[in-house]
Amino acid sequence: MGRYVVRRLLQAIPVLLGTTFLIFTLVYWLPGDPIQALAGDRAVDPVFRATMREMFHLDEPLVVQYGYYIQGIFSGDFGTTFRGLPVSTIFEGKFQITLNLAMTALVIEAIVGIGLGLIAALRRGKATDTAILAFTLLLVSIPTLVSGFVLQLVLGLQLKTSTGIDFFPVAGTSEGWRSYLLPGIVLAGTSIAYLTRLTRTSLMETLRADYVRTAIAKGMPRRRVLGRHALRNSLIPLVTYLGADLGALMSGAVITETIFNLNGIGRQLVDSVYLSENSVVVGIVTVLVLIFIAANLIVDLLYAVLDPRIRYE
Amino acid sequence: MKNPSVDTHLLPADSGTIGTEPLLAVDNLHVEFTTRQGVARAVNGVSYALNAGETLAVLGESGSGKSVTAQAIMGILDMPPARIPKGQIRFRGTDLLQLSEAQRSQIRGQQIAMIFQDALSALNPVFTVGWQIAEMFRVHKGMSKKAAYAKAVELMDRVRIPAAKQRVNDYPHQFSGGMRQRIMIAMSIALDPEVLIADEPTTALDVTVQAQIMELLAELQRESNMGLILITHDLGVVADVADKIAVMYGGRIVENAPVHDIYGNAAHPYTKGLLESIPRVDMKGQELYAIKGLPPNLLDMPTGCAFHPRCPFRQDDCVTDVPALHEISGTRSSACHYWREVLDGTAG
Repeated sequence: MGRYVVRRLLQAIPVLLGTTFLIFTLVYWLPGDPIQALAGDRAVDPVFRATMREMFHLDEPLVVQYGYYIQGIFSGDFGTTFRGLPVSTIFEGKFQITLNLAMTALVIEAIVGIGLGLIAALRRGKATDTAILAFTLLLVSIPTLVSGFVLQLVLGLQLKTSTGIDFFPVAGTSEGWRSYLLPGIVLAGTSIAYLTRLTRTSLMETLRADYVRTAIAKGMPRRRVLGRHALRNSLIPLVTYLGADLGALMSGAVITETIFNLNGIGRQLVDSVYLSENSVVVGIVTVLVLIFIAANLIVDLLYAVLDPRIRYE
Repeated sequence: MKNPSVDTHLLPADSGTIGTEPLLAVDNLHVEFTTRQGVARAVNGVSYALNAGETLAVLGESGSGKSVTAQAIMGILDMPPARIPKGQIRFRGTDLLQLSEAQRSQIRGQQIAMIFQDALSALNPVFTVGWQIAEMFRVHKGMSKKAAYAKAVELMDRVRIPAAKQRVNDYPHQFSGGMRQRIMIAMSIALDPEVLIADEPTTALDVTVQAQIMELLAELQRESNMGLILITHDLGVVADVADKIAVMYGGRIVENAPVHDIYGNAAHPYTKGLLESIPRVDMKGQELYAIKGLPPNLLDMPTGCAFHPRCPFRQDDCVTDVPALHEISGTRSSACHYWREVLDGTAG
């Protein structure tokens, strides 16, 4: 197991280099002059421009620039912005907010998605099943922009004015974990639909398996047949999906962060692209890639726990 | 489990009917499946009986209804699509089909147990074999984890798995096919069932291992005096271990016989065909006999005798009249209008 983890971490290095180089190149080719962007409409002093180009190695070829960048990354330095701020100070707190949001969404997604999927699979073909499937269709059809504002209005404002329950803050992060509830629900929406359907299919397949029939033939109570014998075997595709989805939730939170005024990394990424703050853009993507790799590694290790036939050496 | 009162006491061991009533009696059982194409009649009035210490071999090709009958006895049919419109399954005189699901699950595994064909898919891949055997004691007997595992090791020893103590924490995929079937057997006999149903227990195994498994089953049966129902399509397996044979075709029993009477002396053309299609060393080089045609379509059964489209001795009334199960002697019966002719070789 230990050797497997080391090997997987080593494999992550080329992935990291590849993705950062790709994003670095894309950002490099973005139209616009970052130094002109600093000055707005005014003319830029040629001496200042020359100094800046020298300082940020802008005259060097792409590969050399990338080399400088990677050198910095491996010594823990994400570089400085054109405004002179270290990139790491821009990150401060923002990754935490996005991570909190993504984790909240992931937990909501896992509970609701797996729960609904289980119910649908056990009530296969019945009205409950059809209702759940219709609900998932509805979920994927509603854009975040709609669900975000509607939930803010209904759960955030109307619930408060009509019943006095003030449980769902509609913006900011001042209320601790409760601040993430509404945006978490909104962000999880589409994923809940997918996970519900995946759980339903996976469990229905497992319920047809021979070992489930064996468990029934052993006289095991229905609850145990489902909860122990069937569920454990159905979990593998679900864990795969949840692991991959963490990355998607982190990078896909831009609209949700904007609606709920969360100062997260998604908004920072969009702002930085507009401002041609190349070092920030590449820095954010690098960290996202790292999180993605870590999530996938955890998923792979969980496989071995869930299914003993999967062993790593 | 937590309800010992329903346990063995549910069924009166000393009830007066036991004297005449066999341990297990299937009586005029019908099972049908609702499919998109229509109703598939898988079992059409099967009756057989089993006494303690007795081995009944149920013989027949795929789709003959032998496994469905067994699953009906176990109560593990998926209902729906399956339905039991008629019939009784009496265990110690009590009709299992009249019991509640809770009462049945007390009998399943404890008093009537089952071994499945392919142990690799029948064992749960994500739990250790010890866990799966111990589960019987933990759930049904409320034993502690430690005691249940000790029991599991004991059982693995009993089915002669080498180094049972070391292997109790291994997973099914770490065992060979024969060893896996031994695990399956250990699990099924864990609570000393009175009836054991083995559904083609050796089909997935190679020949030498088949013999060992059959030997083990026969030995366990002698030790505990349980009734054994052996479902198979392999006549060779049957000869050594079975006491009596029931041959099934198209969801019906076509012939009942004590095992030694049937070889070379079949009273039904289908049984005759089965016996003739066994490969024999002294017939080497000659073409192997095969029953012509295909098993009947359960959605659209032939009229009259279900076997008539394939029968070499077919007469006109076979197409129109369903043959009754004619009694030949106290222990033999045949569902053929012309059983006399088949029996003395003058048919056709």
